[in-house]
Amino acid sequence: MIELLLGTLYGLLIGLIPSAGATTGLVALFGFMYLFPNEYSAIIFIMATVAASTTADTFASVLLGIPGANSAAATIQDGYPLAKKGKAELALSAAITSSTINGLLWGLLVFIFLEHLSFVYNYVGSIQLWFITLFAFFCVVLVLGKKWYLGLIGLMLGILFALVGTNPITNASRLTFGWQYLESGIQLMPLIAGIFAVPQIIDGLAGWTAPVKHEKRSYRLLGIYAVFKNLGLSLRGGFIGAVIGFLPGLGGAVSDWISYGHTVASTKSPKIPFGKGNIRGVVGPEGSNNAQKATSMITTVLFGIPGAPFAAVVIGLLMYLNIELGDPSLFYDPNIFNSMLLGFIGGTVLVAILLLLVLKPICNITMIPVKFFFPFLFLLLLWSCTQYTGGWEDYALFCIFSIVGYAIHRLGVSKPALLLSFILFERFELLTIQILTRYIL
Amino acid sequence: MKTYIHAIVLTWLITFWTSFALADYKMIIPQKPGGGTSQWASIIAKHLEPHLGEKIKLVHIPGARDIPGFNKFHNELRFDDKTIMVSHGGNGVSYLTESVDYDYKQYEPIGGMNLTIIIGKKNLEDKIYFAGGSGNIPDVMALTLFMCGNLNSFDAYEKCYKENITFVKGMSGSERRLAFNNGELNITRENPAAYKKHAKAANLLFTHGVFDLDTGQVVDDRNHPNLSFNKVFIAKWGEAPKGNFYDAYLLVKNYRDVLQKALWMNKGNPNATKVTIALLDMLEDNEAMAAIDKAVGDYDWFIADELLDAVNYLEDKKDLSTKSYLIKWQRDVLGYQAVDK
Repeated sequence: MIELLLGTLYGLLIGLIPSAGATTGLVALFGFMYLFPNEYSAIIFIMATVAASTTADTFASVLLGIPGANSAAATIQDGYPLAKKGKAELALSAAITSSTINGLLWGLLVFIFLEHLSFVYNYVGSIQLWFITLFAFFCVVLVLGKKWYLGLIGLMLGILFALVGTNPITNASRLTFGWQYLESGIQLMPLIAGIFAVPQIIDGLAGWTAPVKHEKRSYRLLGIYAVFKNLGLSLRGGFIGAVIGFLPGLGGAVSDWISYGHTVASTKSPKIPFGKGNIRGVVGPEGSNNAQKATSMITTVLFGIPGAPFAAVVIGLLMYLNIELGDPSLFYDPNIFNSMLLGFIGGTVLVAILLLLVLKPICNITMIPVKFFFPFLFLLLLWSCTQYTGGWEDYALFCIFSIVGYAIHRLGVSKPALLLSFILFERFELLTIQILTRYIL
Repeated sequence: MKTYIHAIVLTWLITFWTSFALADYKMIIPQKPGGGTSQWASIIAKHLEPHLGEKIKLVHIPGARDIPGFNKFHNELRFDDKTIMVSHGGNGVSYLTESVDYDYKQYEPIGGMNLTIIIGKKNLEDKIYFAGGSGNIPDVMALTLFMCGNLNSFDAYEKCYKENITFVKGMSGSERRLAFNNGELNITRENPAAYKKHAKAANLLFTHGVFDLDTGQVVDDRNHPNLSFNKVFIAKWGEAPKGNFYDAYLLVKNYRDVLQKALWMNKGNPNATKVTIALLDMLEDNEAMAAIDKAVGDYDWFIADELLDAVNYLEDKKDLSTKSYLIKWQRDVLGYQAVDK
């Protein structure tokens, strides 16, 4: 049980760090795998880390307006406005509850029925994935806002940034200006940090942010109630997350935005407009991310094919312990699956309890002026942005996107539109190439 | 403000130096965590550590076609006495055909596995559907030869390739494996360990065979006897593969497979002998080797100078006209513009 507790606490810490998600946290474990007494302890720790970080990454989104991970970006849309109104506790308790319900539901379904799910992949090909990605792209429209032209600029900038790297057809460098580091594309973490976090910090230090309304009233139970009142929405969000997680390569950001899109589309005449602090805008997308993590494990465990970036790291970590995911002989050792189940479900429950207990004091962070915690926040951002190669190039990219991000912020360009198109365009381009070269050309 | 900036700088410096002070050896992997070479390095590091008597920290430096990590080792990291580079097959292909900074001859060779790549098929009737990137060029060329036999001109191979092979681009390894399972692709390629895991539905079509340093020839993979490309080709076409196209295939195949998984340190590194001895001890450790064989396959190692001899052999035998032929194929037929050496 100590592994479960430690994995949950570690995941909680990683989740709280802005822009660092489960993948970053797991990569940092590579140097410490020898510390685990046996492979089952390690599996419990790893799965608890995944579950806990996925629930906790909402905090930065809601409290600071900085995505806790790319799969928590959609939560900013309504979570952060709620926090600014002094209702961070409402947004967070709803987010935790929605995440936990769907994490438990899909975690149990996945790990109990894992052996029997492989047949579904016979019906999923590049064309199906292309359509889902295209559909997710349409969700950009939902975040364009009233000043649609600024949304459109965000969309175009996102595509432009996604084009930086290597042309997948010719392998030639594209928009790298001779900098080899950029040939593998712009990394997500410096982009998120630069676009979302740095402007918040600068504005906070300069005193340009509107004061947060102080609310003495506790909203914890109201947040939980909001989820049960919108239980159908939360479960549908979970279903969307589960389907996207089931399809390799699409990732949490896609499911989050499709869930958000579904939430907006399925809410007729909302009393509070979306983007201004509508609690349904938190319940829907938060339903999806833990479910997505659970179903990402299906291809990972059955075939050794990572269902998401974090799952690739899980494969690598378990390989160190001589456990080959995808090897059918794994099914002869039920302790492996029991450990996964315990880690994921235990981590999901434990982190929810811990977070709900400390919700009020954490929410008070919104009342603290940025100048008091910005060095710490800045260091955390720097740490998460330099986990890619650890070289000077990571720092340089962080600096570049801090400047670019601040300019974008001052100009009022839609940041969610930029982020969403950046994440989706790479997948969309690759899938289009796959279909063209396989079926058309 | 000044205090805050001082606090940031100080904390960062402490964190930075502490993380380096705690690490004994560093193993540079030019890939993201979870990739094939990353997994290989993770297993080797685990079993090498007890023989080395020091911890090994895995450092991933990913980048396009896995070149930036190796370039960074060459330009900066190799001067650290406790840094080991892990190279893989794609690095060998880029070394042959692209402008890269790294140069195997400037390093101390520690050791490498003499591996091969296995090609599997499923429901292969008249046309091949295969996916990959620039690291799969030897596979595409072997498949072209397999489908077309010995032809007498570049144009004839190009025409036959276009009629018989659809080379799907833009697929990651994960997508490629699923696409093979669901029938979108009918050919798959894997290293030996991955083949066992990911190609259960496949029938083995051929292996590229393994390089024999004594004779300079490609011979059967002992794990799959009589299924090397040359033998399968002869069985199908009644003659051995030959000609410019075959020579170009052989050139790029050897650069990829001989250098597929190898460890290097900087030339003159005082710790190179210690690491090589630790590797030799590991190879004598039955328990460690059983675990490595299970995960990677039962293949021979080139140790120290054997690895350098293999590189020297490849370089000595490199024929410029064959290389030009290969680059023309990559650029004009496969559409890869990055080949510019």
